[in-house]
Amino acid sequence: MMTGAQLLIRALEQEGVETIFGYPGGAIMPVYDALVDSRLDHILVRHEQGAVMAADGYARTSGRVGVCMATSGPGATNLITGIANAFLDSVPLVAITGQVPTALMGTDAFQEVDIFGMTMPIVKHSFLVRRVEDIPRVVGEAFHIAAEGRPGPVLIDLPKDITNTSTSQPPLFEMKSNDLDGPDPDEVEAACRMIRAARQPVLYAGGGVGIGRAVDAFREYVRASGIPVVATLKGLGALPTRDPAFIGMLGMHGNQAANEVVQAADLLICVGARFDDRATGRLDGFAPRAKVVHLDADPAEISKLRHADAALLGDLRQSLAALPTDLSLDAWQAWCSERKQTREWRYDAPGKGIYVPHMLRQISEADPELVVSCDVGQHQMWVAQHCHFKRPEQHLTSAGLGAMGYGIPAAIGAQFADPAARVLTVSGDGSIMMNIQELATINRYQLPIKIVLVDNASLGLVRQWQQLFHGERYSEVDLSDNPDFVAVAKSFGIPGFRVEQRTEVAGAIDRLLNSEGPMLAHVCIDPMSNVWPLVPPGQTNDVMLEEQSA
Amino acid sequence: MNHTMKLTICRVEGAMIRALGLIERRGFAVTSINATENEPAQQLELIIGLRSADRSVDVLARQIEKLFDVCSVSLLQHNESALELKESMAC
Repeated sequence: MMTGAQLLIRALEQEGVETIFGYPGGAIMPVYDALVDSRLDHILVRHEQGAVMAADGYARTSGRVGVCMATSGPGATNLITGIANAFLDSVPLVAITGQVPTALMGTDAFQEVDIFGMTMPIVKHSFLVRRVEDIPRVVGEAFHIAAEGRPGPVLIDLPKDITNTSTSQPPLFEMKSNDLDGPDPDEVEAACRMIRAARQPVLYAGGGVGIGRAVDAFREYVRASGIPVVATLKGLGALPTRDPAFIGMLGMHGNQAANEVVQAADLLICVGARFDDRATGRLDGFAPRAKVVHLDADPAEISKLRHADAALLGDLRQSLAALPTDLSLDAWQAWCSERKQTREWRYDAPGKGIYVPHMLRQISEADPELVVSCDVGQHQMWVAQHCHFKRPEQHLTSAGLGAMGYGIPAAIGAQFADPAARVLTVSGDGSIMMNIQELATINRYQLPIKIVLVDNASLGLVRQWQQLFHGERYSEVDLSDNPDFVAVAKSFGIPGFRVEQRTEVAGAIDRLLNSEGPMLAHVCIDPMSNVWPLVPPGQTNDVMLEEQSA
Repeated sequence: MNHTMKLTICRVEGAMIRALGLIERRGFAVTSINATENEPAQQLELIIGLRSADRSVDVLARQIEKLFDVCSVSLLQHNESALELKESMAC
């Protein structure tokens, strides 16, 4: 006989789970009791949002399903932001929540919320387990659904009486493999015709290239076809950002050259991207002359926002292998290269203050293998613009949801997924306060994570928008009463130091990257620093504002 | 634009609210609904009237088809003949 909790642990072990991020509480206690006898590593975070975001970082780094666990009520609701984050960025995740006993459900019991109902719009699927015998099947289905096709989060809600109930051992449950089919031959033929006829094609790479394990196939196609590449925020690293064929990130805070080549394109080959508004700008003016070939694992993305003239559904690797390579694009390649050169980033900013874009470029060059997680705001855009990425898993960013507080827990997950990795978090003074308690997790497990805290004493991106689009009417963006972050880090057992002058940057990078354990560099910058260039909201990507202040 | 959609869903907890919630979130108003139980198959058949000013009902059908509790989705023409979409993996 086994209890439901023991069955759950056994099912997780059968799925190959090694690490769970979580936080105990009343309704999940039977599972925590069963954990004591398990070989699973449980990582105790200090807030459930830290657990789900660490599981997200673990999944993105390892390519495996991330697992997190929390109790009912507030434990479950604290997972919601992280579940939404995984949903919008297509991250395979299984979130396990305790629930009040079945007999108390629907009675407004202590720590009862309908987490199954609350999360419906932000999960790929969810289960509320009513019979202990169903646990192996539900876990098998949950892992299958989380990882198959376009990945996403799956919730399993487990009432306490179910995890406490004993049952004879049900049979093991195995799902079929997650293999996707290849594309429709007629659509392939149409796509090939369009690609052969195109004079100015562009490959538009999204997060799906990495998620679909299609990086090698994508790079092979780029090399064989010679088609220039732009990437979304999540697509960075699909092609190494130093590759000559890579023009840059497109969109609101993209590189001007990337937006220019997309606007000039006569064919857009979208590979695992979804025409997100931050990438396209005003949709009716996005790549206005281009036909679209859309490669994706998700049929619901086809023609959702932009009509696809050919849709190649299924495994991206199979679709890419079917595309023609005998192309003659010399003039177009030369024009794209010229645009790229003309719009190359400049790092000769005037003044003595720290210029974050240059600092990030220097960090990235000092250690090209760094896994960089970031929070959300100006620093996130600077990371995307100025750090180099050799592969998608090096860049952990909350792209779709834009969830401040993601950086530190994601770094924790990445470090557990790959203990040998060198992991850096770039955060802001607004963002870091949203999950600062996870510094305790870094210290508890002595993770050698490096943190660059870019402090402009304000909510920088909101302030920038108020400056540019709200007539400098600044509303609730001043954070000049921030705590002493170096002292805060030290109180969590993490050493830190402050950097305030440009002349200190090289030494600070050396000190940070060569420290043994965790370390925080508190980088103070001009509160009026802005991210450039910028496509104003509601404009097409032709309209990019340039730097207006140094 | 008015549309009529026929859904067959598994009779499992949350399936109906999951489908209806998706329809409204994706920008469609539900103008009518009729549910019939198919008990032997443990399924519910829903005939749903929909209205949207500017959203594609074909995209909506593909979004609903992704739900794991949905067995089949059809768009009914005004002459009531069904345009069958392929079955989803679940059920």
